Amino acid sequence: MKKYQLGEFEEIVILTIAVLYKEAYGVAIKNEIETRITRNVSMGAMHTALVRLEDKGYIKSFNGDATEDRMGRPRRYYQITALGKKAMEYSRSTRNDLWNSIPKVALDLKIVG
Amino acid sequence: MPPKFFHRFLRWFCNPRLLDRIEGDLLEVYFDRVHRSGKQKADLRFIIDVILLLRPAIIRRTEMHSYSNTGMLGNYFMVAWRNILRSKTFSFINIGGLSLGVTCSLLIFLWINDELSVDKFNSNPDIYSVYERVFSEGKIDAGPWTPGELAAELKHQVPEIKYSSPIWNHNEELFTLDDKKINYRGISADSDFFKMFNYTLLKGTPETALRDPDAIAVSRRMAEAFFGSPEEAYGSMIRIGNQKDLRITAVFENVPDNSSEKFEFVGNWHYLLETVQWLKVWIYRAPFTYIQLHPGTDPAKVESKIKDFLTPFLTPTHGEGYKTELGLQPYGDMYLHSRFEEGVPAGGRIENLKLFGLIAVFILLIACINFMNLSTARSVKRAKEVGVRKTMGAFRSYLVTQFIGEAMLLTFLAIVLAIGLVAITLPYFNLVTEKHIALPFTSLSFWGLLIALLVVTGFIAGAYPAFFLSSLNPIKILKGSLKADPRSLLFRKTLVVFQFILVIIFIACTSTISRQVEYMQSKNVGFDKENLVYIPLQGDLYVKFEAFKQQLLNKPGIVNVTRSTNAPTDINTHEYDLEWEGKNPEDKVVAIHNGIGYDFLPMMNIQILQGRNFSKEFISDTTGFIINETALKLIGYDDPIGRPLSFFQKRGTIVGVVKDFHLKSLKDPIMPLIMFLGEDAHWGYVLVKTQAGMTQEGIAGIENVFKDFEPEYPLRYYFADEEFQKLYSSERTVNKFSISFSVLAIVIACLGLFGLTMFTAEQRKKEIGIRKAIGATTFSIVSMLSNDIVKLVIISTAFALPIAWFAMDKWIAQFAYQASLSFWLFIGPALLTLIIALVTTSFQAIKAAIADPVTSLKSE
Repeated sequence: MKKYQLGEFEEIVILTIAVLYKEAYGVAIKNEIETRITRNVSMGAMHTALVRLEDKGYIKSFNGDATEDRMGRPRRYYQITALGKKAMEYSRSTRNDLWNSIPKVALDLKIVG
Repeated sequence: MPPKFFHRFLRWFCNPRLLDRIEGDLLEVYFDRVHRSGKQKADLRFIIDVILLLRPAIIRRTEMHSYSNTGMLGNYFMVAWRNILRSKTFSFINIGGLSLGVTCSLLIFLWINDELSVDKFNSNPDIYSVYERVFSEGKIDAGPWTPGELAAELKHQVPEIKYSSPIWNHNEELFTLDDKKINYRGISADSDFFKMFNYTLLKGTPETALRDPDAIAVSRRMAEAFFGSPEEAYGSMIRIGNQKDLRITAVFENVPDNSSEKFEFVGNWHYLLETVQWLKVWIYRAPFTYIQLHPGTDPAKVESKIKDFLTPFLTPTHGEGYKTELGLQPYGDMYLHSRFEEGVPAGGRIENLKLFGLIAVFILLIACINFMNLSTARSVKRAKEVGVRKTMGAFRSYLVTQFIGEAMLLTFLAIVLAIGLVAITLPYFNLVTEKHIALPFTSLSFWGLLIALLVVTGFIAGAYPAFFLSSLNPIKILKGSLKADPRSLLFRKTLVVFQFILVIIFIACTSTISRQVEYMQSKNVGFDKENLVYIPLQGDLYVKFEAFKQQLLNKPGIVNVTRSTNAPTDINTHEYDLEWEGKNPEDKVVAIHNGIGYDFLPMMNIQILQGRNFSKEFISDTTGFIINETALKLIGYDDPIGRPLSFFQKRGTIVGVVKDFHLKSLKDPIMPLIMFLGEDAHWGYVLVKTQAGMTQEGIAGIENVFKDFEPEYPLRYYFADEEFQKLYSSERTVNKFSISFSVLAIVIACLGLFGLTMFTAEQRKKEIGIRKAIGATTFSIVSMLSNDIVKLVIISTAFALPIAWFAMDKWIAQFAYQASLSFWLFIGPALLTLIIALVTTSFQAIKAAIADPVTSLKSE
């Protein structure tokens, strides 16, 4: 279980990075998350998640070009590593397993209820 | 632009690795927001964003976290330990000097702590002492002596007062139970006494303890002495003063050492009033008055309310225009603030406490300076280590931590040693200070003090060497081109000068104090106090005095016998009603009075200047007065003999004038003295002059005769010269203290000098070798090495002497009779310090100078 640790928010962030592919940098990720799941994301929360993901080796980052609207600070682009991909897959498969193990009745009842 | 402050704040706390990307993102979002919703909103969101960024993952790492500290600490500890062992002499000087300093300051702190604890067990903050201030001749005299009925009257008239009690200190009273006769000191107080104060009652209750007129409360000690146990004593009868049987209605635990009031019994106030009638007279002020206010009462309000309380009671006697006021002082403050100035409590013991506290700090500082000096001087030895550590990537802060830690380690060892020293010296210390201090190992504040001492001393001693050593440039060190820094040399010299300023001040002050104490003890007091014994009048001895005297004169070794209403070392009965012809009725004068026997003046060898002594041939002498020079000056009669005087409710004439003699200690000026014939006085002392060298026989004779006359009373007698010495016991304590502190200070400072010279001699070993080889004499080398020290001590003297002079000029002002502050009293100590310093340094210098140059030169 301890094999790939991926928190819920971290998972959202890493998925968003995957979605954005070549355009995954701070502000873009933030905007993407906010539009997709209509949830306010603070800069602090997001960067914490990014730092954690990077520390775990699930993503890596590199500097892009400096732009004027950032007053010369380069964009930092994030990219998913092989390990990160495994972690995502692991997370997905555990969820799928769980989904598959739900007896049909339970969900039916849920719908009825 | 985003808010500057928060932007800066972000840059300050943010991990530098993340700063660029986060800052970039923030700015991008910010400018976007400025476009969309205006600057104000964007600013606000920016601030919120910055605050929300305060997360552990984003905040900058402090340096401490980034290295594994346990391994390094182990290494520091090992290196420190090796350093202590490698240079044993320096470690000894460092640890020894520090531990002497710490011992001294620990003792002083223990003493201060003990003094501060006095009376604090009576912790009720609502208890106040009532004191009176009297305005006369433009002066304000104040003191805690109040009329006997004041306490009861105050409680009666002022509703804010919950309890009140006067306290009267008895002389020793004789207690008898069957065959047992023991004298005890005690007090009399009102029935509120045990309700106000926190004296633990073993038997009885605060309400009933002193309720009945024949009630008495006794201490556990007294109960055990008479009855074997408090239980047995409770409810029993005991006889006081061979007169009256009292019932023991309470037994209290022995009064703790840290109580300013020491007593073995508490008698009932109303019984006291029966025996000491004049306590009911309002103009006689002798007892103390204590009140306890209701909780939450503002003492200032009560104080202003009772300010003029005494006036209606006193004006009938003293007349209109007599100005007197009452004031309040918290009970817990009385012990330390017992001196009054301008009618308000101004100081007292607290001043000594502050002074010695300061001395403790200074001695500790002298010891710390040794440490600083030796560490910086020897920095060259540690420089290589610093160079290597720096090259290997040690930050400066690590080195600072290391060296301060090392200082802490040495301080720790010094403190451990000091605690041992304190344990050894404490019994002697208690003897000198007359205290019962024990090392309070169970008290949390003591450990707190030790830790504070460790941290503060370690920091002061270690900070400069740490910053100095860690500032060295590794390239220079490792290339070997490190030169002794002239600034650090100057700094060392400054510190040495500072040390010696303190040392010289200490010694100069000590020599002045010693001089004054010696002066007071040896100055001619104006009467012959040698071979003089005095016995308090007890029982009905005053009636049988003449027969007693004749019996005594028959005994061997007894030369003369007379009597006096006061002990000759403490003639202090004040009187305010002196009247003479031509006196300005506005003037309020205070005079001392003393009743004397016919033989008093000749026996005491007091010189009569005018007139004659009292004589049995003149019956009128019972209303005669003999006055001293000071009194004559006050009265101002040109030809005083036969002139009238009214005093102590007596009218009479002056029969003689005597040369001034000291009535009390030399701290107090000689007051106007009026002596009357006291052959039939009911109180006072029998004065016995013994033959020189036959004191033993004399005392044996007194014991014999006294037993015949007063078998019921145990004999008490005092030697005048001993009592005279006792007057200066507090000054002698201060003197002993200051002598020991000065010795300590100079020992510690010289330890430091010793270390420094040893170090210099070692550094200049080759130079000395070459000089000798070329032909320098031993003397020239010794003087070369000691030159600096002489200069430093002379500079210190120049600073120290004015300070010492100023301080001592103030100190000596408290004495009415002062030893003259001579020049030598100050130059002497400076010379002494110089000589001691020279001896210390030349010991090393000579050792270096007579060493064979061959050994020092061939080693390379």
